[in-house]
Amino acid sequence: MSDKANEITCRDTTWLVSDARERELTPEEKRDLAHHIESCELCQGASKQFDVLFRQLKEFLGQPGRTS
Amino acid sequence: MDSTSDRDLSDEIASLRPILFRLALLQLRDKHAAEDATQDALVAALEGQAKFHERASLKTWLLSILRFKIVDQLRKKKRIGPPIDPHVLEQELDLAPFEQLFDETGCWATPKDAWSDPHETTERNEFFRVLEACLTKLPTNTSRVFLMREWLELTTDEVCDEVGVKPGNLRVMLYRARMQLRFCLDENWMRET
Repeated sequence: MSDKANEITCRDTTWLVSDARERELTPEEKRDLAHHIESCELCQGASKQFDVLFRQLKEFLGQPGRTS
Repeated sequence: MDSTSDRDLSDEIASLRPILFRLALLQLRDKHAAEDATQDALVAALEGQAKFHERASLKTWLLSILRFKIVDQLRKKKRIGPPIDPHVLEQELDLAPFEQLFDETGCWATPKDAWSDPHETTERNEFFRVLEACLTKLPTNTSRVFLMREWLELTTDEVCDEVGVKPGNLRVMLYRARMQLRFCLDENWMRET
């Protein structure tokens, strides 16, 4: 890949996934995150687990209307 | 509504007390404060049951009343729950346990299997039981700040102010909470079949 310097690690993606619940990620962060997950099977798996966690947490806490 | 269904609803409200209390306890980490908040919420619910519409589930409605009661207390600047101990805080900021999940290049060390995503009530309740156990295992302050954000939906500034932590430390605590919950569920929840 051409821009190695901009590539983030799996560890970095976990920070972005957490930060995204506190603030809107910057366009660069969103791009890096999407780019990394697209090419990383491990992160696709972790990302699906976080999706289930956040979706069920919302139900557990009685917030069916919450968007994220 | 006739008196029989009023009574049925009152019974149903009362039957959800344990769920309310356990969540209040997770949030407040103080038994007396959790009992008070639960009692306030139940009294408000029983008084206002005419306002309950079937469009939302009873549990959702009660949790929103409880949430409102706790947020209201916080906003009135009545500090609820024990103050944070700086030494305890330092332990709760330790990221070492999570570093082992990654290799030296920052890559996940092991594959992440797909979880069963519960849709049916029975399976969902089972998931909630595991989730609650995982939340209970979080360090005290970590679960308090995590639920302040995810349940009470306080702003990060409000959480920092209430608990007395710096924004950078709050970010680490919330990261740890999410990482630990994912890890705990991965250990204890079913794989997709």
